[in-house]
Amino acid sequence: MTTTFDTGSALAISNVSKVFNKGNENEVIALSDVNLNVHTGEFISLIGPSGCGKSTLLRVIGDLTGFDSGSVQVSGKSPEDARKERLYGIAFQQAALFDWRTVSKNIELPLELAGWDKSQREVRSAELLEMVQLSEFGNHRPWELSGGMQQRVAIARSLAVDPPLLLMDEPFGALDEMTRERMQNELLRIRLDTGKTIVFVTHSIPEAVYLSDRVVVMSPRPGRITAEINVDLGERTETTRESDHFFHCVTSVREALRLHDTSGTSTSSFRGEV
Amino acid sequence: MNSKLSYLWPPILIAALFLGAWQLLVVVQDLKPFLLPAPSLIASEFSNGATLMWGAAFYTGTTAFLGLLFGTIAGLFMALLAQRFITVNKLVTPLAAGLATVPIIALTPILNNMFNITSRTPRVLVTAIIVLFPIFVNVMRGLIQVNPLQVELMRSLNAAPRTTLRILRIPNAIPFFFTGLKIAAPLAVIAALVAEYFGGPQEGLGSRIASAAANTAYGRAWAYVLAAIITGLIFYLAIIAIERLVTPRSAQLHVKA
Ligand SMILES: Nc1ncnc2c1ncn2[C@@H]1O[C@H](COP(=O)(O)OP(=O)(O)OP(=O)(O)O)[C@@H](O)[C@H]1O
Ligand SMILES: [Mg+2]
Repeated sequence: MTTTFDTGSALAISNVSKVFNKGNENEVIALSDVNLNVHTGEFISLIGPSGCGKSTLLRVIGDLTGFDSGSVQVSGKSPEDARKERLYGIAFQQAALFDWRTVSKNIELPLELAGWDKSQREVRSAELLEMVQLSEFGNHRPWELSGGMQQRVAIARSLAVDPPLLLMDEPFGALDEMTRERMQNELLRIRLDTGKTIVFVTHSIPEAVYLSDRVVVMSPRPGRITAEINVDLGERTETTRESDHFFHCVTSVREALRLHDTSGTSTSSFRGEV
Repeated sequence: MNSKLSYLWPPILIAALFLGAWQLLVVVQDLKPFLLPAPSLIASEFSNGATLMWGAAFYTGTTAFLGLLFGTIAGLFMALLAQRFITVNKLVTPLAAGLATVPIIALTPILNNMFNITSRTPRVLVTAIIVLFPIFVNVMRGLIQVNPLQVELMRSLNAAPRTTLRILRIPNAIPFFFTGLKIAAPLAVIAALVAEYFGGPQEGLGSRIASAAANTAYGRAWAYVLAAIITGLIFYLAIIAIERLVTPRSAQLHVKA
């Protein structure tokens, strides 16, 4: 992948902290002094043991939850303004499709809310269905699709209004290994086609390495960023996953994770070890 | 067609065995009708008084229908209002339990005094109040028990609360609404019938059962009970039919899974 970033800042996070249940006995420091900058068009992965604040960070970026101190800028705007201008699309571990809508109507939901008229919506959803290779399934109901297909619909939905930023919280977490690898390739293809900035949360080290330009390693109690590893794998091909360089990157990430793993047991929470 | 109806045979067989055993018990033990009338006696009373039965069932059924209609409208309205203030599902369950303990039928004599006792109004009102609770509680649950990820999605799309209500909460509540209706519909028939025990016009099933029993016509009393059961069943089946019409079969199965 030849990635030439324009110099624009997609995301600028500085000294962000977030505490849940402040002052009471269940107090959790979900994010402590987090700093992160992401260029326009960059693909970064957030990785770390369960509870280290990956989802919280994503939700802070998306203005789905607030934060206590620091500053966050999404394309130079506050998270709230960015959300209101629909500058990002989001996909979760579950597809979270609306059962009472057809696949096409699910993809059209963001367009509906953005006030597109019907004929424009239909053109766009057909385009997106083609992008995720589900053209024949527009009139199906979500439950008639496999898990992988549903997740593709959710990704198409997150791309609907063509937002410059994609937030993805373990979107392939519930898929089997084969489907997962296929979806990873599709995501890379979509990224190449659209040039989106992507913030991707995962538990899988190989997945993070395979997808990203940069892997951001987090650690819990308090949730913070402990390492950033640049992945310069170039264009991904069928043999990328078997290359020495790939293994080298995987090892770097694993070591960065181990460095802050004091419990000795939490490595078991990682799936997809090589 | 044969295989489609094959599931009907076991219940029919069980019903036939049950009625046979009942008949046998009454004949062999020579039970008096005030203890337990034979199915054959109930059946003959039922067919002899068919037009009366039909008229009484129609009267009570109309009360039940009107009560169901108004109660459902009121329950839906209340649920839509309440979901704006109660957003925590935990609150719905104690609310439901609390409401279920209110002995609404005891209101009938009071309503009879407040409204014209010779009209249907107090009975419809009692029925409506009884219907209101299962509709309110179930619809409320459906409006609140939404997938939290879908709520976040709506927020990420900058949807106003009323938009989220229209696009997410109301469609989500439809299966819950039918669950409420399936509880409420037979309840409406029972309420309309019991409300007749407190005086007023004497055309309904409740009045007929009471007067037949008072006249020691136990076979006839039981025949009216049978008519009441059939009326309740018709209400229930009508709701199921509407549910099938409104939501495709696969959707119902999926939502419940
Ligand atoms: N709404 C909330 N109220 C209270 N505590 C919360 C809330 N959301 C998250 N937390 C806490 O904040 C911490 C970080 O949670 P978060 O969901 O961000 O972790 P994560 O890295 O996404 O974990 P996982 O990999 O399991 O998804 C956890 O300790 C969690 O218990
Ligand atoms: Mg998470």
